Amino acid sequence: MWALDQPCAPRTGRLFADTPLALLVVLALGAATTWALVELGVLAPPAMHVAGVTAGHGALLATAFAWARVRSGSGVVVVALLGLAASVNALGVFGAFAYLGPPLWVAWLARRGRLAGLGLGAPVSLRCVLAGAGAGAFLASHLLVSTSRTLGVHVRLDHMSEVLAALGYDVGANVLAAECFFRGALFNRAQRRWSFTVAATLATTSYVVRYLVDPLLPKSIELVVGAVFYLALLGAINCWLLWWSESLVPGLLSALVFFAAYRTLGSG
Amino acid sequence: MAAGLAAVTALIALDGAGPASLFRHAYLVPVVMAALRFGAPGGALAAGAAVLLSAPFVLPEIERSGLTPDAAEGLVTFAVLGIVGALSGVLRTRVGRHRRRYETLVALQRALADEATLDVALTRLRAALAGRLGFDDLVLVARDGTGLVVAGGDRVAPGSLVARVLDSGIPELVWDAGSDVLSRRAFAAPLVAGGQAIGVLAVERKGEIPAEERAALEALGAHVGLALENARLASRQRLFAAELAEKVRAARQELEELDRVKSTFVAIASHELRTPLTALQGFSELLALRRLPPEEVSRLAGIMRREAKRLGRIVSDLLDLSRIERGLDPALCRIPLAVEPAIVATVDLFRQGTVTHPIAITCEPSLPRVDADPDALERILTNLLSNAIKYSPLGSVVRVGGRAVGGAVAIEVADAGRGIPAEALGRIFEPYYRAPDAAGTTHGTGIGLAVVKALVEAHGGAVRVESAPAIGTRVTVILPAFHGPVP
Repeated sequence: MWALDQPCAPRTGRLFADTPLALLVVLALGAATTWALVELGVLAPPAMHVAGVTAGHGALLATAFAWARVRSGSGVVVVALLGLAASVNALGVFGAFAYLGPPLWVAWLARRGRLAGLGLGAPVSLRCVLAGAGAGAFLASHLLVSTSRTLGVHVRLDHMSEVLAALGYDVGANVLAAECFFRGALFNRAQRRWSFTVAATLATTSYVVRYLVDPLLPKSIELVVGAVFYLALLGAINCWLLWWSESLVPGLLSALVFFAAYRTLGSG
Repeated sequence: MAAGLAAVTALIALDGAGPASLFRHAYLVPVVMAALRFGAPGGALAAGAAVLLSAPFVLPEIERSGLTPDAAEGLVTFAVLGIVGALSGVLRTRVGRHRRRYETLVALQRALADEATLDVALTRLRAALAGRLGFDDLVLVARDGTGLVVAGGDRVAPGSLVARVLDSGIPELVWDAGSDVLSRRAFAAPLVAGGQAIGVLAVERKGEIPAEERAALEALGAHVGLALENARLASRQRLFAAELAEKVRAARQELEELDRVKSTFVAIASHELRTPLTALQGFSELLALRRLPPEEVSRLAGIMRREAKRLGRIVSDLLDLSRIERGLDPALCRIPLAVEPAIVATVDLFRQGTVTHPIAITCEPSLPRVDADPDALERILTNLLSNAIKYSPLGSVVRVGGRAVGGAVAIEVADAGRGIPAEALGRIFEPYYRAPDAAGTTHGTGIGLAVVKALVEAHGGAVRVESAPAIGTRVTVILPAFHGPVP
């Protein structure tokens, strides 16, 4: 028993200790430079999207890796893979498959046991996987029903190429980065200092804020309210899934199912 | 519960009455059931799920027509579901906690109902608590003198949470226990008795240990501490009672033995007094009633004188014993006394009667004088010689002598008798005691050696006995030599 056998040393590290500040500064400078070059007309506007994806999601993933004490080179690799995927994705519909790079890299690291601190790599039971898929499916179906009844938005399958590209982005960047950072890193660290409620509130609030500042989120009030509602629910549920299963996989699955449903929505 | 919620949602959809459908009240059934089954989390979750499921019926109405009466009813239903789910869940949780607390207290009392050592009591307590409190791990530690007794582990590591709480007496919660992917919570509360931390109750869980539960554990720590202290006191009281009963039994046995010994002594002493008295009475009547020749008168007078002396010696011994039993030293009148003449005079007394044993005297030349009471020395020698003669075979030699030992004189009386059994050697100086093999075969009061010891010690000397079965016994009396000028 830990309380009996192990020395109980007071905590010394801060919540944001081990953050890779140098890499974050480089990413920020890169994004700012790209924005300036786009504004000056030197680069085409899609370059800003590539830089934004690389800097935003790369920062989240690299920070999550650093907090999990993975070697700094792994963070740089994932940033590079994200940049490559975003660039290739801009070239055409099949470029979405390039987004498989970051998750494959994460899977490789997890298989070698380097991401145990994020809740990746350890075996996860089928019950937990089904719970994650079920939670995502419940939220997704609720989203589909309520949006169709309130906003008149329905499932549309006539824009599959866009859906495929968005799904690739979710798998390789959006969901992967958000779950690794907000659940695997931030919530995990916070729950070692405070109660589940406080940690989940902190992680979920940060998660919602991250989407609210995302330039890709439509700015209509109905959509913002809906996004806050569903993202808060998804964030809280995923915190609980990680807490309950001790694995990030159910949360990843839950978020993927939810975002997949979200991507199929279209008006008209 | 999930099926119930889905069924109610389906009924509302089929009803087509929108947010005002009467079926919406049916959500209360699965919500209350979830609250009663799973407590506050179950009630809140079921209420949240019910609100989520009914939202697609209420929100479009607001979207289309604003806050109509139907939409308002739907919103009120949201609030009612939330309040009922949370409230009934919280009440269910609290009732469950109270019930568990009382059950735990009863289990705690049962665990300590029987007499048990501290480690057994702690193990029982741990078994009773572990199954009820719902933690992954539980340990009980209690102080036992200078050491610690641990139930649920081997030892308390220095600097561990348990060691810290044991030292400080203040409960402590650790959010991040262990090195798992997700942390465990560890909480340790002191076991308090008489304002002191007499131990620690420590628990661990993968999951929350809320403030209310921690407060309950603190209270439980006080209960356990008190129960342990009571058990310890009861155990001590039982031990004390057993010791007291043993002492009373031993004292009673001793008194009974003393009573028996005194009764035996009275019988023996009466017999010992009666023998010389009978002789005195008989010979004095003979002298009074008959006219006897002068030689016969002289012989009878000699016998009467010896018996009177014997009587006087017995009475003196009894008086000395009485003083010893009252804690007083025998009365002495000490003078510088030559040992050899005293030995010779006493031996002569024995030689005047019927000689059954030859008595050999061997004294060192120029033996120093002793600082002693002549009468006391005579009684010491008489008692020792009397015993030597009494307990050795007819005709065997009794040896008596004196020698200088340092600043003292050692007087030895040795016989070639049957000896004293080893188990009786330690008791022969006790008043009234007679060795078991001597009691039935020879006469004696059992006070002679007690008086010898008292008289010798009153002189500042010592007495020592060496005996070997079938070889004989040697008694050595050591008296301080006189170092002053001879008057």
